[in-house]
Amino acid sequence: METLTSANRRRSHILGAIILVFFGALVFRLTELQFVQYDTFRSQAERNSIRRISKDPLRGLIFDRDGNLIVNNNPGYTLTITPFEFQWHTLPLLVRLFGVDSNLVRFRISQAGMHSFNAVKIARDLTFSQLSLLEEYHTLLPGVNYVIESRRVYDMKPRLSHLLGYTKEISPRLLKQLGEYYQPGDVVGFNGLEAYYEKTLRGEKGYGYHTVNALGRVVASFEHGRSDIPAKEGSDLLLTINMDLQDFGERLMRGKRGAIVAIDPRNGEILAFVSAPDYELSELSGRISSEHWNSLINNPSMPMYNRCSMAAYPPGSTFKMLVAVAALQEGLLQPDSRIHCPGSYTLAGREFRCHGAHGNINVVTALEYSCNVFFYKLIFKLGFDNLKKYGEMFHFGRVTGMDISNESHGTLPTEEYYNKRYGSRWNIGYLVNLGIGQGEVNTTPLQMAAFTAALANGGTYYVPHAVRNIRDRYSEQVIDVPISGKRLGISKEALAPVQLGMLRSVQGSGTGYAARVGGARVAGKTGTAQNPPNPDHAWFVGYAPYENPEIAIAVIVENGGFGGTVAAPIAGAMIRRHLFGPAPLLPTAQEEEVEADQFETELQTTVILPD
Amino acid sequence: MIGSSTRTLSRSVDFPALVIIYTLILIGLLSVYSATHNAALIIKFQKQVFWVILATFSLILVMLAPPRFFHYSAYPLHALSVLLLILVLFFGRTIAGNAGWFGIGGFGIQPSEFAKITTILALARFLSDSTTSLQTFTDLSKAIAIVLVPWLLTIIQPDFGTGLVFWAIFLAMVFWAGAELLLLITLVSPIIVIALSIAGLWYFLAAAFLVSILFYVLKRNIGVALMFLAINLTLGFGVQYMYEHLPDYQKARIAVFFDPEEAPLTAGYNVIQSKVAIGSGGVTGKGYLQGSQTQLRFVPEQWTDFIFCVPAEEFGFIGAVFILLLYALLFLRGLYIARALEFRFSSLLIIGIVALLLFHVVVNTGMTVGLIPVVGIPLPFMSYGGSFFIACMLGMGIWVHTWMNRTKAV
Repeated sequence: METLTSANRRRSHILGAIILVFFGALVFRLTELQFVQYDTFRSQAERNSIRRISKDPLRGLIFDRDGNLIVNNNPGYTLTITPFEFQWHTLPLLVRLFGVDSNLVRFRISQAGMHSFNAVKIARDLTFSQLSLLEEYHTLLPGVNYVIESRRVYDMKPRLSHLLGYTKEISPRLLKQLGEYYQPGDVVGFNGLEAYYEKTLRGEKGYGYHTVNALGRVVASFEHGRSDIPAKEGSDLLLTINMDLQDFGERLMRGKRGAIVAIDPRNGEILAFVSAPDYELSELSGRISSEHWNSLINNPSMPMYNRCSMAAYPPGSTFKMLVAVAALQEGLLQPDSRIHCPGSYTLAGREFRCHGAHGNINVVTALEYSCNVFFYKLIFKLGFDNLKKYGEMFHFGRVTGMDISNESHGTLPTEEYYNKRYGSRWNIGYLVNLGIGQGEVNTTPLQMAAFTAALANGGTYYVPHAVRNIRDRYSEQVIDVPISGKRLGISKEALAPVQLGMLRSVQGSGTGYAARVGGARVAGKTGTAQNPPNPDHAWFVGYAPYENPEIAIAVIVENGGFGGTVAAPIAGAMIRRHLFGPAPLLPTAQEEEVEADQFETELQTTVILPD
Repeated sequence: MIGSSTRTLSRSVDFPALVIIYTLILIGLLSVYSATHNAALIIKFQKQVFWVILATFSLILVMLAPPRFFHYSAYPLHALSVLLLILVLFFGRTIAGNAGWFGIGGFGIQPSEFAKITTILALARFLSDSTTSLQTFTDLSKAIAIVLVPWLLTIIQPDFGTGLVFWAIFLAMVFWAGAELLLLITLVSPIIVIALSIAGLWYFLAAAFLVSILFYVLKRNIGVALMFLAINLTLGFGVQYMYEHLPDYQKARIAVFFDPEEAPLTAGYNVIQSKVAIGSGGVTGKGYLQGSQTQLRFVPEQWTDFIFCVPAEEFGFIGAVFILLLYALLFLRGLYIARALEFRFSSLLIIGIVALLLFHVVVNTGMTVGLIPVVGIPLPFMSYGGSFFIACMLGMGIWVHTWMNRTKAV
């Protein structure tokens, strides 16, 4: 054992010597680099000889349904400062030449903190004369430079603001959320399709190697760009929107607050997506004055708010179709079974009124006249569980899954919901109000339009979508966005009475008569969402032609009052426009067109909104 | 009571080693932060913090294993890790051209890193066996087989850098187990000759002759020495012939090994920028988070294999030497322990772990300062990344475990 220990000692000495030789060599090398060659490397580091600069790809374009270019890119020149190289004594010159706000410069540089090597953007949209000034004075302005950014330009008749959304400089919070690809100062799709299709539209950044001089200014591309990685341009989107219908809808809603969502019930394509009031997208592209921004943000009508998919309102009587379909499908109600309406309904000493005594009526008549008592009684038969089952089936209380970044899920109250909210302080009477779509049920216009489309097409729920194809810039390959449709398993027998009730509501003696269109039969339902203490919101949902639906629509006018007088005519005008177009060939139809235009002016003059 | 138990603990747990590695881990975290914070890559830093926590738990877990656990589980654990290496060939995913990854959530696991540890275990077990004799061909072959299998499975992934470390471990452990110097020369010389045959004809011829003369001096057998020379020459010329017939891009890749200045902006780019970073750091460095090379991200993927140039730029010569000193102390401590341990198995384990870490430190820092070719291997305790970091900490867990149980017979 003694020999082993001594052998171990000898070996450990050899290994120890090897370790010391290795580390000695490393320290020697460090001495060489950091003492002897220090000056060489120091100046190399200062010359920044080769720098890697990322190249932003061009953002994908957006085309309308017919292939017309509606969203394009224009180059814009942005003034930047690299804080590390910037010299404060040049600030007055900078202010004099470019009229930049000296406080903004101070703020941006102080924000940069440890990121002092990254250029910060100071002013967008430099003019060509400013650009030449920058070239002229660049030796006096270390760290001041410019970058070319592309900004969106729009060429279309409608505004389409809420659907398309806008792009803007990435916020620190979003930067953290989106992760590694982005750098501070990058432009990113902020909402709407621009945000949802961000990865598709943005492309992939490229990198260029440049030789730079002592001031950090690029003097040449390294190796004539042979090592560069080119940027990959973004893909293009082709929309499903009927641009004429969209424009028409925006004009119809001018001066109002509310939304129109029109969907093709055969595939879920969005035909119109109107949220009023709206705003000009081009005003948010490039330089935007803070006054203008504040006026948009502080406007009490909230023009930036996407009412189509973000705003949830009580659906009112338009919810009755859900109750009816659920009860019919579950066999809790027969198409011909009658319920008595004496004009009011009393529960636990509280009286719920109907607008008239409808007598013994079946479900079709109940929908035609929008009888409340019928549905008060029916919802008790249906119960919470079925309401939840069918509500969720039609995506109430959850998002539709549309290709838009901001979508609210609304509220579909369930027993758990009430328990959570009120504890034991609620009773079954809360269910009564749900039967007619009042109380705590909330739906977005998008949800209502998709629901109506599913009723119209015989029970298939298509996920609404506004993008039809995506086109790759390089392969020119056009990929269809897959249509996601789910058969809900609702029988024809359960749907038919509801469809008939909706038809009678418009074409019969119901409340939706104002949505009638010459040349096609319209099925629909009005709704009035109570909004105490303010005036009610007016709803209309419907579809046409009845026999072979091509459009399903949901219209809401905030504080518009009764659905039949405000929302129904707008829906009717939209349906007519979609089915027969703006310039009909037949003389009879032309009359209707004139009529429609008259209607439009009439709408704008007679319906004065409470503001 | 508390005082005495603390004393017992301080006598049983190897505190000097733990203090050294946690100082290195802290410096590593600061460096990863410096390299990533400016580039929206801060997630890397956050992940690294997670790895440190996870690795600490692994270390404690290993440390507290029953006294003779590793002696008994050495072969089964090695078999398991070889199995994982085979599985990763079929089910792994590819990161940066290397297919040897298992994806778990957002994290990648590389079984080859764990194979390094189990190779040490298995080899220590085999070499400490009283019936094992390295003089016999069978036993030597068995020892080689323990290393050869994981090595082959690693290099076909392909991961050449990680492959080399297996042989570093093998040499150190075989040496510690008492192999003759002659055997070691026989094992090492062909590798040196092959490497030099690519570098240049004269280097290689000189080396081949030198090795043969050394062989003759030791063995005093002219016949064997000549045969040895013949083998070396054949290998050298053979490899040189093969090299000449390689496709250009592969040749270029190997050429960069020997002359990075020839190919800036490709593989050589990293080395040049790393040297500029270190050299411009000077004696005292540019200050934390102030290194222009680091902050401008001149050195690609700096947080992984090139992490050493972050402190070397920002804290200068003083910082760099301080780090090297910590490593050197750790290894000398390892040698001290290996010598003091009375059981062969325990002693061999420590030598294996020291060899693993030493190889990584020397090759990594050597590459960063431009002393040796670019071999993409990480720096222990400092580089960003999970698998290797945890493997190192498992190794340190075994180290501490061995020291704690030093009086318990196997």
